[in-house]
Amino acid sequence: MHPDRQKGSSLASPNELAEFLASVERRAYKQALFAVRDSENALDIVQDSMLKLAEKYGAKPLAELPMLFQRILQNTIRDFYRRQKVRSLWVTLFSSLSSGKEDDDADPLETLASADDSKPRDGPADRLEQSQLIEIIEFELRRLPARQRQAFLLRYWEELDVAETAAVMGCSEGSVKTHCSRAAHALAAALRARGIDL
Amino acid sequence: MNEQQTAHRIKQLLNKGLDLDAGTLARLETARKQALARQRIEAPSFVLGWADNVFGRLGGPTSIIPRMLLPMAVLILGLIAINQWRDSQTAAEIEEIDAAVLTGDLPLDAYLDKGFDAWLKRSSH
Repeated sequence: MHPDRQKGSSLASPNELAEFLASVERRAYKQALFAVRDSENALDIVQDSMLKLAEKYGAKPLAELPMLFQRILQNTIRDFYRRQKVRSLWVTLFSSLSSGKEDDDADPLETLASADDSKPRDGPADRLEQSQLIEIIEFELRRLPARQRQAFLLRYWEELDVAETAAVMGCSEGSVKTHCSRAAHALAAALRARGIDL
Repeated sequence: MNEQQTAHRIKQLLNKGLDLDAGTLARLETARKQALARQRIEAPSFVLGWADNVFGRLGGPTSIIPRMLLPMAVLILGLIAINQWRDSQTAAEIEEIDAAVLTGDLPLDAYLDKGFDAWLKRSSH
């Protein structure tokens, strides 16, 4: 459990809410980015989620904020998917401007060389290796089915327990365990296939 | 490596990947400040919370008089006026009957005579 949730049930003050948001905003952005694969949209999703939390639940106890925020974030991501679905339906109906395969599906290893050219070469080799590993993991996370990725990130990155994750996702605890297990195995298998041993 | 160990290792790496570029961090900071500016603060005590709730529903303390007390006052005054008007109407009717009885040619005893009543009914047919 996060240390934020061990502070009791006192109502969140503006300072505490500020600290909470600062502590989750980067992970929230990454979660949204994994889901929608576009940094502008991911930033919009995080901003909407923060506004909703502050406006509607800003006076809730500090201990309740992590779960509330995750629920809002996941709902905002789902709303984005819905809007995208409607938009893509109209685009399919009225436009022939099909762009083909998205760039996001490209293997990050193919672009790593050019990306690394912009970075200073004086860093240690293991740091470079680690950044490559992180990119690969993020890539494989994006490739996971949405529900598996959601369960894995909520459970292991946001450190919600199984019941909280189930509440955020709107499914049973058994489903959460199944999604998490499949996600962990899929990630481990994908990394093994690349010759990476965690 | 089991599920927990894999997850733990991936979590560590994901946390190391949180070094975002300056532009993204600035956008996140702006978003956070905008959200904080709209934070809803609840009244600290139950009584204040209740009062806030009541006033809030009525549209604030200044509008409680026109929205609730004024219609109630109008209603009460209206009921009092209707009651007084009915009383005065009844009194006027009684006065009229009394005046007619007292000023009529017929003696008062005639109204107490049952035979006179029966004669009135017969003659009206």
